[in-house]
Amino acid sequence: MPPPEKKKYPCKMLTLQTWTVQALFVFLSTESLGELLDPCGYINPESPVVQLGSNFTAVCVLKEKCMDYFHVNANYIFWKTNHVTIPHEQYTVINRTASSVTFRDISLLNIQLTCNIRTFGQIDQNVYGIRIISGLPPEKPKNLSCIVKEGEKMTCQWDPGRETYLETNFTLKSEWATEKFDDCKTKRDNPTSCTVDYSPVYFVNIEVWVEAENALGKVASDHINFDPIDKVKPFPPHNLSVSNSEELSSILKLTWINSSIKSFMKLKYDIQYRTKDASTWSQIPPEDTASTRSSFTVQDLKPFTEYVFRIRCMKEDGKGFWSDWSAEESGITYEDRPSKAPSFWYKMEPSHTHGCRPVQLIWKTLPRFEANGKILDYEVTLKRWKSPLQNYTVNDTKLTVNLTNDRYIATLTARNLVGKSDASVLTIPAYDFQAARPVTDLKAFPKDNMLWVEWTAPNESINKYILEWCVLSDKSPCVPDWQQEDGNVHRTYLRGNLAESKCYLITVTPVYDSGPGSPQSIKAYLKQAPPSKGPTVRTKKVGKNEAVLEWDQLPVDVQNGFIRNYTIFYKTNIGNETAVNVDSSHTEYTLSSLTSDTLYMVRMAAYTDEGGMDGPEFTFTTPKFAQGEIEAIVVPVCLAFLLTTLLGVLFCFNKRDLIKKHIWPNVPDPSKSHIAQWSPHTPPRHNFNSKDQIYSDGNFTDVSVVEIEANDKKPFPEDPKSLDLFKKEKISTEGHSSGIGGSSCMSSSRPSISSSDENESAQNTSSTVQYSTVVHSGYRHQVPSVQVFSRSESTQPLLDSEERPEELQLVDNVDGSDVILPRQQYFKQNCSQHETSPDVSQFERSKQVSSVNDEDFVRLKQQQISDHISQSYGSGQMKMFQEVSAADAFGPGTEGQVERFETVGMEAVIDEGMPKSYLPQTVRRGGYMPQ
Amino acid sequence: MRAQLPRRVLLSLVLRLLFLKPVVTGSCSGDDQELLRQLQHQVDFMKDSSRLLDPYMHIQGLDVPGLKEHCQERPGVFPRENALHELSRRGFLQTLNAKLGHVLHRLTILQQNLPKVQDFGTVKRYIYGIRNNIYCLAQLLPGSSETAEPTQAGTEDSPPPPPASDTFQSKLQGCQFLRGYHRFMHSVGRVFHKWRESPSRSRSRRHSPHRALRKGAHRMQPSMRGKRLMPRGQLSQ
Repeated sequence: MPPPEKKKYPCKMLTLQTWTVQALFVFLSTESLGELLDPCGYINPESPVVQLGSNFTAVCVLKEKCMDYFHVNANYIFWKTNHVTIPHEQYTVINRTASSVTFRDISLLNIQLTCNIRTFGQIDQNVYGIRIISGLPPEKPKNLSCIVKEGEKMTCQWDPGRETYLETNFTLKSEWATEKFDDCKTKRDNPTSCTVDYSPVYFVNIEVWVEAENALGKVASDHINFDPIDKVKPFPPHNLSVSNSEELSSILKLTWINSSIKSFMKLKYDIQYRTKDASTWSQIPPEDTASTRSSFTVQDLKPFTEYVFRIRCMKEDGKGFWSDWSAEESGITYEDRPSKAPSFWYKMEPSHTHGCRPVQLIWKTLPRFEANGKILDYEVTLKRWKSPLQNYTVNDTKLTVNLTNDRYIATLTARNLVGKSDASVLTIPAYDFQAARPVTDLKAFPKDNMLWVEWTAPNESINKYILEWCVLSDKSPCVPDWQQEDGNVHRTYLRGNLAESKCYLITVTPVYDSGPGSPQSIKAYLKQAPPSKGPTVRTKKVGKNEAVLEWDQLPVDVQNGFIRNYTIFYKTNIGNETAVNVDSSHTEYTLSSLTSDTLYMVRMAAYTDEGGMDGPEFTFTTPKFAQGEIEAIVVPVCLAFLLTTLLGVLFCFNKRDLIKKHIWPNVPDPSKSHIAQWSPHTPPRHNFNSKDQIYSDGNFTDVSVVEIEANDKKPFPEDPKSLDLFKKEKISTEGHSSGIGGSSCMSSSRPSISSSDENESAQNTSSTVQYSTVVHSGYRHQVPSVQVFSRSESTQPLLDSEERPEELQLVDNVDGSDVILPRQQYFKQNCSQHETSPDVSQFERSKQVSSVNDEDFVRLKQQQISDHISQSYGSGQMKMFQEVSAADAFGPGTEGQVERFETVGMEAVIDEGMPKSYLPQTVRRGGYMPQ
Repeated sequence: MRAQLPRRVLLSLVLRLLFLKPVVTGSCSGDDQELLRQLQHQVDFMKDSSRLLDPYMHIQGLDVPGLKEHCQERPGVFPRENALHELSRRGFLQTLNAKLGHVLHRLTILQQNLPKVQDFGTVKRYIYGIRNNIYCLAQLLPGSSETAEPTQAGTEDSPPPPPASDTFQSKLQGCQFLRGYHRFMHSVGRVFHKWRESPSRSRSRRHSPHRALRKGAHRMQPSMRGKRLMPRGQLSQ
């Protein structure tokens, strides 16, 4: 195998070279570092540990080589602690090379001390540094004690004393007289106790002590010497069992197994027991369990009761420690006959037939401590006078029987495995029995979280009392619970599951030999609470300065206690809240001194003994006026108005002739007109070719003038200017014409000078006579400028002149070229308020009246037009009203009217050229005078 | 205890106890009655055959009919009870101390052969404890005024036989030895019990241990007062 060896040697050589290089490097480095790190001096002591509060002196010694190099000596030394120079007063120059520093009463735990020199007069050179550790020597450990837990090794603990601020070791030492055991070193995290490594040997005294040691000293505790058997904490007895005895219902036998420590020492025991539901333990007398044993019989227990036991043990002489408690074990004593008769009561069923009454007998199950076993059944007997016994065996706790109206005596016994209880006797009185003799001074009050009932017994022998109670609620019926008390009891508490904040109605009934007495009732709470909700307040009546508030009593389910009082809180938006207390018996309250016309916010709280609860807030506003105040103002005003009106009416009635004269002037009856008499000679045709002709002739015989005072309030203008305005006014109201106006549309090409008021007046009278009077001739002192046309739609017979078609044709045939169409157009134009029908053109057209007409044809057309007008009268009237309204409302219409006014103005200008005295001066104003 | 004490230390202790030269490290505490009570408890603990013999026979398969009968104490190994009663207190303590030393030696051998029997270790620790109490009780005995007595209780006592080469015989010898040991401790217990009897009866005896112990203790009190009880090295005078 040559090749491998060849390879092996080079490897060895390489390794050797490497080691050589490394060793050389380390040697050189060490030499260099040694020189580099060689200090200029040193401090003695090197690692001092100083006791707090003591003095300490450190000496710095400089090396000669360093002194020569830096040209310094001990005088150049200065000291620093934690980088702060120490005052030179603390220095002492011992010799040329050494200087010391002294600290008095050291209080710092850790001090860094350095020795320094100042070289070349300005460079501070650190020579050496040490760290001074301060602390205290250990105190003597106290209260050393040891315990030997069975199965474990001995553990000792002690009080280490004050804090030393130094690492302190505690060592537990132990030895026999002939043997020394290994030390027990404490662990860093638990320096106050230690568990030895060897098992204990009983009956040999051992000496134990603790040594505490740190850098400042060593101290040992007092030595304790004891037999480890006296420090034993044994295991608890195990396998504890409990058994009962059929012979004795009051005993239970306990058995257990002792721990193995029993072979070393005698034991004593501690046995405790309690009933299963109890929380406190009873103890067997220690003297009964002071010796080693493995069983014990507990006596004087209750029958058929479950008991729980536990046991522990310790050294008989009391030295050492109690063991832990054993596991709990329970057992039930054997049964015994029931020790008490059950509580017994009855309830009368509501349905009662003649001679028979159903009665429900009720009783309570015996509590466990009185039943003394499992109740198998109940035996009930009923006995009536000289009648055989009726026996019932019941498993339930109630029995309903039908009894006669006679008196009965019922007995009840409870039976268990061992025997029967005593009998509970109850007298059921006859049907007509009148109960009396109630208890007095019945009180109910809570105490110790129980509801107590107290009463004063009647001065008679009482067998027992029956207490019944139920929860009062608006939602559920009163389902009573009950309990029985002995006859000598006058105070007890209700043994039921009572709830807090519930109202209980408690009834106490004494039971005599002859039967039950009168029941007495009282309400009570186990514990009150504030109401669940507050009362809802509302206003019953709100006045200017007061408001009557009302509310409903809180339902009992939300009261949670007795309502002691109410508090009403009210305020305005900006005012402070005002509170008013109201007694709980009230359901309304009047708030007074309120401000009128003000919003009030009101809420209400109900209070029990435990607090209150606010109800919802309610707002109301007081009125500005009190009730009747408006009436007091309005009624007199109305009366005054009525009186004034009445006086006016009376005045008018008295002055009716005068009023009528001014408002409703007498209208001449055309039928009674004498015009036919004075105008038959009037030519049928008014051919006014020119004004000049008319005025020049001065003949007004053809003109029928009806003077109507359209409006009393509008006096006639006296001057042309006023007249002009008057015309304008009339023109502007042209569209308002209706009824008569409508007729005028049909009957005249000229606008009718009649206002709507006039139309109304006319309509008011149309039931009797409808007139359409077109005054186009001279009015009052004016001279008509155009041909006058007059027509009446009166139902009265037409005048002869009106009957003549020629006269109509005189107008209709103005436009001779077109006989029929112009008439229709005119009608349409006039009904549509055509603005382009100036009077002038009308006037001009009237000049061109053709003399050739077909009379028959005209009549036919006139009849058709008349029919058409009568059919379209209403619509035409409405149409005109609408247009006028629009004209009043909008500018353009007004402008159109203005244009027309101008035209009329021109006409007025033309009129100005006429003589002003064209009317007879004798014509009476407002009157009618035939010419 | 074996686990805690090195074998070399144990051997040293055994040898020293054998020759009543214990390694005295601490002091004795308690009076004679306390020591006697402790010794009584220790001996009662040791006389119980369930501590050693029964486990040994069970492990060695000797607890079967036919073999069990052969496990009888070999005469001469342990002193008889009447011989023990005849001994002076010092002689009794010396004899007891010596026999316990033999037992320790034998138990050590048995323990090496039967390492699973942990009761050997427990018994050995208690034997050390008994010898500690013997030492302390001897401290309370009168010193030089007592007459030296033989350390062996009678001539019938003989040292334990050497271990037999035969396996079965070796088991049987071990069994016989342990039976003798339990019987011996029972006898020792009776002696201690007598020592603890009423003083009136004790006074009638020449060597009433109680009286003697109390007397010795009384004598020692002046020298002990205020200082630690110093060991004397051995009980015998």
